[in-house]
Amino acid sequence: MSHHKLEVKDLHYNYPDGHEAVKGMSFCIHHGESVGIIGANGAGKSTLLMLLMGVLFPSEGEVSVGDVHVTKKTLPMIRQRLGMVFQDPDDQLFMNTVYDDVAFGPRNYKLDENEVEKRVLQALELVGILHLKDRAPFKLSGGEKRAAAIASVLSMQPDILVMDEPTAALDPKSRRRVMDLLGSFKHTKIVTSHDIDMIYGMCDRTIVIKKGEIAADGATSEILVNAELMEACGLEVPLALQNCPVCGTQK
Amino acid sequence: MSNIMDSLYNMRLLDDLARQDTVIHKLHPLVKLLATVSYLTVVVSFGRYDIGGILPLVIYPVMVFTLAELPVKPIVLRILLVSPFIIGIGILNPFFDKQIFVLGDREISRGWVTFLSILLKSGLTVTAALLLIATTGMDRLGSALRMLKIPRIFVLQLLLTYRYISVLMEEVARTLRAYSLRAPKQKGVHRSAWGSLAGQLLLRTFDRAQRIYEAMCLRGFAGEYNTGGFGKLRIGDWVYLAVWFLFFITVRFYNIPMLIGSLITGVIR
Ligand SMILES: Nc1ncnc2c1ncn2[C@@H]1O[C@H](COP(=O)(O)OP(=O)(O)OP(=O)(O)O)[C@@H](O)[C@H]1O
Ligand SMILES: [Mg+2]
Repeated sequence: MSHHKLEVKDLHYNYPDGHEAVKGMSFCIHHGESVGIIGANGAGKSTLLMLLMGVLFPSEGEVSVGDVHVTKKTLPMIRQRLGMVFQDPDDQLFMNTVYDDVAFGPRNYKLDENEVEKRVLQALELVGILHLKDRAPFKLSGGEKRAAAIASVLSMQPDILVMDEPTAALDPKSRRRVMDLLGSFKHTKIVTSHDIDMIYGMCDRTIVIKKGEIAADGATSEILVNAELMEACGLEVPLALQNCPVCGTQK
Repeated sequence: MSNIMDSLYNMRLLDDLARQDTVIHKLHPLVKLLATVSYLTVVVSFGRYDIGGILPLVIYPVMVFTLAELPVKPIVLRILLVSPFIIGIGILNPFFDKQIFVLGDREISRGWVTFLSILLKSGLTVTAALLLIATTGMDRLGSALRMLKIPRIFVLQLLLTYRYISVLMEEVARTLRAYSLRAPKQKGVHRSAWGSLAGQLLLRTFDRAQRIYEAMCLRGFAGEYNTGGFGKLRIGDWVYLAVWFLFFITVRFYNIPMLIGSLITGVIR
């Protein structure tokens, strides 16, 4: 399905203070791909995602979803198809209750209230926080907030799911749940993370970013085992692939 | 520090209260809004010297308090919060308006009477407004305003300002917590840090407000704040509204304390 294709051509972005955060990235993501974006702190991952979502506009180059360029005019249409979970869940939750927050997106698309309720409960169930639905988001723990933020995007049923470090601050069980959740999401997904093991387990394709440029782009199974490349980009080979520190088994 | 955190929690208290499920909470927001507006109009319409006439209107907040099962203390605290302003406005009256007003065999300066009536009126209006928010919630109030065809830009302004206050408060609380943890021996914030602290705070809240707005846009926000629809007005809603209208009109045109007084004196005689 070509209309879920996401294409980036020679993308540049400078922050208003002159900082050049993205310097000439190009790639194309097809329908159904799961892509991990990794890189050291400050490499430009969050900035790239903002550019994809049309929150920021590139200073040069272009982003297109399907065959539509992301511009101010096409934004409403594009945003209906893309859902993004922010790095900081506090930025995403602003209503009085978790329920209202998750319902915010569907209500904006003028669904009738029964359908909204169905979607909200379904999304909350999926991330496992149905019991928190009447709580105020700002009173939740960090991980609970993140789960709520994820639910608030799932309720919109996007074609392309974009997540900025979805498993940061989650306990092992919740991390596993989010991973399973992402695994069950059949559409395109784009995930940034410092959780290399998660990327290893979940994404078929990995893009490595170094100082605003693409350092490598290819199959996860090839890139993540490349110790030299990983080292050069401030990263490490996933634990699953490292030699066992206890029994000394060589991988 | 802890009291900032407290007041933050308290700030959202009205929203928490609004989520209860009592007779009053179940009423249609539009009805509550109309009842409150007419109440405010009636309270304000009384003359400066007419304290007796206003007194029966105290029944309204008392009834709402009881029926909505609201805790009295936190709401009274909020009313007291604005009282310095009211006193500031009214306190000069006793000095300027020195005419004598005879009550039975006592003489009272008219200034004190007007002062008292300002205090009473503003107390009642503030209470009514707080009760409206505590029984309806800001979001649903916004939708009620939209039903009254108030332009959406005004309603949006109101709702976002209300949201923004909590964002600001959260940011303040975090900054102060970070500060106090690294300056454990100080009480409050040292003078030398005020400038940078205030500046940081402003920039950070701008930033956060911006990001929250972006998050809203990403989820299809296009200028209309949707809070879920309401049903039509039910019979109970109409009755509630009608009863209060009737009561307010009666209080406005008949001086009830006087009537009761003359009734009693009539019986005694
Ligand atoms: N608002 C801003 N103004 C100016 N520069 C910024 C701004 N936000 C980020 N930057 C800079 O842009 C670069 C990329 O930032 P970005 O947030 O994309 O990094 P990241 O890869 O997401 O890092 P992390 O893994 O820590 O989340 C950083 O060097 C950062 O200092
Ligand atoms: Mg980031």
